[in-house]
Amino acid sequence: MNLSAASPSGPPPNVPVLLTSLASAVLLDGRGDLELPRETRGALIDWGGVYGQLIRLSGPWRLSLATESGATALSDCLTGVEKAPGRWRSRHRLGRFDVIQDIVAVPSPSGAIRTLSASIPEGPPASLLVVSTFAPYLLPVLVEGIRPTAFHVEASSRGLTVRQRGFALDYRSSVTPSRMFLNRAAWGGGRFQGPVEQVASHHELTVVPGRPATISFLLSGGLERDLGPSNVADAVLSDPNAAARAIDAADRTWEQGTPILRFPNAPGLERAYGFARAALRRLYTSPGEGLTGLVAGYPWYSSIWCRDLAWMLPATLWLGDFDWVARSLASVFRFQLHAEVPLLGGEPGELPMQISPGPIFLYGTSDTTLYYPGLVAQYLRHSGNRETAAQWSAVIERILGWGQARTDAVTGLLRHGGEAEEIATATGQLTRVRYGIDSPDTTIWDSVNRREHAIDVQVLWRQALLAAAELHEGGASASPGRDWVQAADRIARSVRELYPWSEEGYLYDSLRSGAPVARVRPNALRTVTSGILDPDLSHALVLRAAKEDLTTPWGVRTLSAKDPGYDPQSYHDGEVWTIATAWAAEAALAVGEVELGLRYLRTIGERMDLEGGWANECYRGDRPEAFDSCFLLGFSVAPFLTTLFERLWGLSVDARVPRLEVDPSFPSDWDSSSLEQLRIGSGVAALDWTPVRMRISWSGPDPLQVRMRGSQAVVAPGGSVDLPVNVPTR
Amino acid sequence: MTHRRFGESEGSTLARPNTQVAPDARPGVSDHRLGPALSLVRQGLSVGREFGMHSLEALLWVAETVEESVYVPRSLVRNAEGLSFMLANPPLRVGAFSSLRFWVDRVEVPSARVRLGTGSPRAWRTAAEISGAAPLELRPGEPTEVALDQVSTGVEREVTVRLELQSVAIPPLVWFEFTEAPRTEASP
Repeated sequence: MNLSAASPSGPPPNVPVLLTSLASAVLLDGRGDLELPRETRGALIDWGGVYGQLIRLSGPWRLSLATESGATALSDCLTGVEKAPGRWRSRHRLGRFDVIQDIVAVPSPSGAIRTLSASIPEGPPASLLVVSTFAPYLLPVLVEGIRPTAFHVEASSRGLTVRQRGFALDYRSSVTPSRMFLNRAAWGGGRFQGPVEQVASHHELTVVPGRPATISFLLSGGLERDLGPSNVADAVLSDPNAAARAIDAADRTWEQGTPILRFPNAPGLERAYGFARAALRRLYTSPGEGLTGLVAGYPWYSSIWCRDLAWMLPATLWLGDFDWVARSLASVFRFQLHAEVPLLGGEPGELPMQISPGPIFLYGTSDTTLYYPGLVAQYLRHSGNRETAAQWSAVIERILGWGQARTDAVTGLLRHGGEAEEIATATGQLTRVRYGIDSPDTTIWDSVNRREHAIDVQVLWRQALLAAAELHEGGASASPGRDWVQAADRIARSVRELYPWSEEGYLYDSLRSGAPVARVRPNALRTVTSGILDPDLSHALVLRAAKEDLTTPWGVRTLSAKDPGYDPQSYHDGEVWTIATAWAAEAALAVGEVELGLRYLRTIGERMDLEGGWANECYRGDRPEAFDSCFLLGFSVAPFLTTLFERLWGLSVDARVPRLEVDPSFPSDWDSSSLEQLRIGSGVAALDWTPVRMRISWSGPDPLQVRMRGSQAVVAPGGSVDLPVNVPTR
Repeated sequence: MTHRRFGESEGSTLARPNTQVAPDARPGVSDHRLGPALSLVRQGLSVGREFGMHSLEALLWVAETVEESVYVPRSLVRNAEGLSFMLANPPLRVGAFSSLRFWVDRVEVPSARVRLGTGSPRAWRTAAEISGAAPLELRPGEPTEVALDQVSTGVEREVTVRLELQSVAIPPLVWFEFTEAPRTEASP
C-alpha cells in the first residue's frame, strides 16, 4: 500500500468520492461520512450512501464518536484524507483519540465496509462509543425520488436485516452493538414492521495505548433472494483489506491491458485520457443475475441504461476489453422482445432502455435499439471473433424488422415518437393510482419533442442498416444485405433532399408533418462522419456549430441561444452537454478543422481537471456551472475517448484481416505522439508518430496490413515498419 | 442522458383531465375494464415466458412501491376547509418545481386555494406563490401535506385528484392522480 502523507487539505473541495466494486458503489463527499449533497433538478438532495446490485440500499450513513466530553460527527473531526489502493481513507482526531477510517466497496456481498481504527498515544485505557446511523432506502435507482415508506426489520446476531418487498439489506458489525435504535427509540431486537426513518447502533470500544481498537461495519444487499449466507458476510467483515486488495488488483490488471497514449505537445490531453479511462472503469458493473455492462452515471443514473451503454462500448473496444463488450452485448440482447408488450412500452425486436437485476427492464426509446447492429460490427472489427458475432445475427434481423416497421414508405426515414404511450393505456384503466411524465418523444434529448424524424435518429438507422449489411458480407448474418444497403442509400438521399437549411448553412433538426423543424441543435453534427453529406456541407455544419450561440467556452449547447425556446437551465433546450462537445470535436477533426477539434477536446479535458477527474453530464447554458448534472456520466467520458482514437489518431481496425488504417489529425506544431498496447484481435500494435514518419510495431500471430493515406505496408509478427508521413497533416 | 424514468410515458392524452377514468369508477374489474385486464394478463404471461416469472415479480415490486409511497393511502380527508391529503414522496421526480396545479374530478382548483405544507415545523405556501424564482423543493422521503380549500365533494363518493408538476430543470410535465373516497374528519 502506498499512501500519501496525511494532510488536512485533502482533495479539491466539492469533488465527490465514488468507490465501486463490480456489484456495488459508495458515494460520499470526502469529509468522512457517506453524505453527498448535490444539486439535483434545482434542489439540494443527499445521494450519499451504499448502493448494491444497482439498488440504493441506504441514505446517508453517518458515524459519530462519543467520549466523556461529548459526541462528534466523524466529519467534524476530520484531519486528512488519502486515496489508497482499492479504498478511501480518512483520518480524524477527537481529544486523545486518533481514528483512521477505511471505506471499501465490496462485490460479494454487494455493499460497503467501513472500518474505524482508534488509538491513543499514552495514558490509561479509554472508552470510545461509536454511533452509526442510516436510513434504509431499498429501491432500484431507476426510481429517482422515492424512499419507500414501510420496511420489515429483523434483528440478527451481528446487527439486523431490513426488507422492502423483494429488496433487502444486511447490516452487521465486528463489535456487537450495545444498543440498537429504530426511529430514535431504543429497540430490543426481534421484528419490526412500519416506517423506518433511522436505524442506529451503539458500539463500545476500549482503547489501550499501543493497541488500536478496531470496528468494522458491513452494509450490503440488493435483491433479497441474493442475500448470501451469514458466514460469507462475516468472512468479508473480518478481512476488509482482502476486498480492497482484490479491487485494486483487478483495476491494475485492467489498466495494464489498455492503451497508453502520449501527447508530449498536449500534456493536458494526455492527462484527460487518464482521467476518462479511470472514470470509465468505475462504471463497470456486473451486478448479478448474469448482467454485465457499464453504469450510466452517478449519482442518479446508477443503472444499466442501454443507450448510454451503446455510447460507452466503442470506447471499451478501443481500450481493448473485447470480453466485456461481448458480455455487455449479450446482456442487452437477452432482453430483446419477441412480442409486443405495451405494459413495458416495448415492441417486437426492440432492445430495452434500461436493465437492472430483478430483472427489471423497460423499453420505449426511439434510438436505443438502433445503436446495436453497429456495435456488433465494431465488436467484430476489433476482436475478429466471428463466432460470437454470428450468434447475434437473428438479434440484428429483429432489430431491422423493428426499424422497418417504423420506416416511412415514401422517404425511407425512421419515424419516432409515441414509443411508450401504451404503457399508460395498458395500466391506467385498472389502477387507482396513475402517474407519468409527459415525455413527448424519446430521442437522446428525451425531455423535448423532436418528432417525427430527428436527424440523428436517421443517421443511426442508416448506420444500423449498413452495419447489418457489413455483417452479412462478413458471413455473420444469413439475411440479404443488398436490400439493407438500398434502404440506407434511400435514407441518405432523403437527408440530402429534405434537411439542408440554406439560411443557416446547417441542417434542420427534424421533420414533422412533412415540414422542417428549424432549430439549431448539435445533433446535426452526427451527419458529418456518416458519409451522407458532401464535404462542403459537412464543413459548413462544423463552422456553423462553432458559432457562439451553440458553442460556449465550456462546451456545446443542446439548442442555439438564439432559439426562442432556449432556456439556459433546461435539460435539452439550452444546457451544455459534454457529449455534444465530443460530437463537435469528432466532426471538426473529420473535416480537417484540427485546431477547432482540439479546442473541443481540450474543453472536455479542462473540465475533467477542474472536476477532480470526473466528467459532468451537463452545465448551464449561460455559465460554466454544472446544473441538474450527474457528476460522472459514461456518455461524457466515452465519446471523448473514442474521439481520441478514431479522429485524433484517425484509427480504424479490422482484426479479421488483420488490418490497421491510420490517418492522424495532429496539429502542425506537434512533433511527436505515441500509442502503445492497441489490441487488434489477438495481437497488439504500437504506433509512434513524428512529422516525418509513423512507426508501427506489431506482435500479433499474423502479418498486419497497415495503411496511412497513400502508403501501405505489411508488418510481420514481432516486427515494425516506418511509413513516411508524406502528406501534410490536416 | 437523458433518461425517461420509471413511469415516464406519453400517456398524457389518455390520462388528461378531460379523458381520465370516470370518477364514479369502483374498485375491481368491471365490464369495460375486462379487455385491458386480459391484455395485461397476456402481456404478463408473455414477459414471464420470455424472461422468467422473477422479472414480473420484480416489476411488480417497483410498481407497488411507487403506488404506495407517493400518495399516502387513505389520507384523503374532507374537513371544514375542503379536502386534504398527504404525499410521502415527490411524485416520480425530485427537485425544484416552478408550478403545481391540482384538479378534483376534472375541475381545476385555483392555485390560491391550494396550500402545500412541507418541513418540520410545517411551512405553508399556496400554489400561487410558487414560481421559477420561488420554486417548491421536493426531496425523497420528505412528506408534503396538501390542502385544497373550498373544494366540496359529495359524501361517500370517490373523487379523482390530479396533480401536475413542472420541474425547473426538465420540461416534461409530471402528473400523478389517485382515486379514493375521502374520509370525513371529525369536527374538533
